Amino acid sequence: MTTSLAPDLPADQAAASAKEIMAAVIAHDIRDEEWVEVGANLPVPRAGALLAHLTHGPNLTVMIAMTKAYLRDEPVLEEFEYITDVRAMRWAEAYYRHDQLLSAQRRRRQGVFYCGGIEIDRFGNSNLIGVGEDYRRLAFRGPGPIGTTNATVQSGRWHLVTTAHNPRVLVDRVSFISAVGYGRGEPGYREAIGLQNPGPTYIITPLCVFDFDPDTNSARLASVHDGVTVDEVVARTGFEIVIPDSVPTTVGPTPGELKILRTRIDTGRALT
Amino acid sequence: MTAETAAGPAGGVRRHHIVEVSDATGEVEDGMTIAIGGFINSGHPMAVVRQLIRDERKDLTVVGAASAGLEIDLLIAAGVASKIVTPYVGAEGLVGIGPAFRHAAQSGQIEVFELDEAHYYAGLRASAQRVPFNPWRAGLGTSLVEINPALKVFEDPINGEPLVAVPAIEIDVCFLHAAISDQYGNVQHNGSAYGDVAISAASERTFVSVEQIVSSEQIRVEPLRTTIDGATGIIRAPFGAHPYAAEGYYRPDEDHLRKYIAASEEWLRNGSRAGLDEYLEYYVKEPADPIDYLERVGLRALLALNEY
Repeated sequence: MTTSLAPDLPADQAAASAKEIMAAVIAHDIRDEEWVEVGANLPVPRAGALLAHLTHGPNLTVMIAMTKAYLRDEPVLEEFEYITDVRAMRWAEAYYRHDQLLSAQRRRRQGVFYCGGIEIDRFGNSNLIGVGEDYRRLAFRGPGPIGTTNATVQSGRWHLVTTAHNPRVLVDRVSFISAVGYGRGEPGYREAIGLQNPGPTYIITPLCVFDFDPDTNSARLASVHDGVTVDEVVARTGFEIVIPDSVPTTVGPTPGELKILRTRIDTGRALT
Repeated sequence: MTAETAAGPAGGVRRHHIVEVSDATGEVEDGMTIAIGGFINSGHPMAVVRQLIRDERKDLTVVGAASAGLEIDLLIAAGVASKIVTPYVGAEGLVGIGPAFRHAAQSGQIEVFELDEAHYYAGLRASAQRVPFNPWRAGLGTSLVEINPALKVFEDPINGEPLVAVPAIEIDVCFLHAAISDQYGNVQHNGSAYGDVAISAASERTFVSVEQIVSSEQIRVEPLRTTIDGATGIIRAPFGAHPYAAEGYYRPDEDHLRKYIAASEEWLRNGSRAGLDEYLEYYVKEPADPIDYLERVGLRALLALNEY
């Protein structure tokens, strides 16, 4: 069975939502043969990775619920709330024991990773530790770095993703760095501090996609989603944006991709 | 063959490893480092966690899972944990960040050993290997090496590169929850077992609560599935991970977890411990034993968790 045998249901004709556009951006960026983790409770990267797998990623290694899975023959990929949900393990070709996974860093060279943050700054640094001046008296304690410190250093490529585009999340300088991007933009910063992989390629938000200006390593507006203006992005961003003369509209999902998203990947409509 | 063995069995009989939950927690003294296995909303040894609170243990350094759940939040809320070692405390979609963890960290009531999950396993591995540290690359250029002085940047003597030294995470006693064990402490998990094996390898003593104690013959049907061979002690604990899932047995009890989260959030929002105290009293302190706890949760609620 291939994607052409997707269930013949009428896809909702409504325009793509912001999260569906984000998922399409993620999917279009993924190359076949790469390795992606599908975490729980991260519906946008999940949908993007699965969309890539079902459309142009037959050799993608998809890690789902701590298993390796091949999902192109499955008509509908149910979403599960918890990463340990055993129902998501029924497609397993292998179990990834978590402690062994963290000893197998070589495979991450083929990996693409999506890093969130309670704060993300203009130089692509992310913070999951907490917000405040004094670490001992944080105004807001974050969840902790999880695996982002390491995954952003070992992955072949990585992006920052947030579903909250506002000046509290997108800041000039993060309070604490749990995943390092480009420092304060110094040329060659990552290599100078001993890191071997590139910094983030994009910041993907519900309004737009930023890439990074090669001269300053500062976030630059790469595209705005359909219906979003540059002024709106500026008003809702807490850092100074590098804005090129012409800003294209983000390439969202094709009608075919939208149908796959709505009928096979996101039947619970977490993206709308 | 000696004359003695020819005459019959020598040197006594094989010892069984089955203990009561209070025997297991009796190995813990105030100030020790303990670990709690599982992963976010699954596989935590909750009969043990509740007994540690009943024992009124204090000043424990608690090593949570690589992604810990609200079992750590509960130990913080109950005043058992004074320092925690884990890269995440939360419950995914139920609550992104543990509320008591947030409250206690923000008010300086607990110390957090800040680290990434890769550092976490590097530290466990160093402890298992009996070396002072394991090197790691990630962490350079981050705040982790500033806010956690135990993570030290050093120059690698092989290539002269900067690396992070992650100190051994040495654990006195660890507590895990698994599917089955025989009476000799040969434990088998369902599913991927998360980081439980690494936690056990880093610990002096390992106690495992299990859904079922089975015959030695059943273990020997599939010895490749044995994850921990020879735990210090095995605790008989059906529904022992409640309110979290036990893979292959039951799913998380979301209604119960929401009750706890509401109480914990009340402490975070307005400093009131009324809801937490009520929860701790009814579900942790009053129950005479683990079966009494399950009776308070109720048979209908428990059996409803067996089906999806």
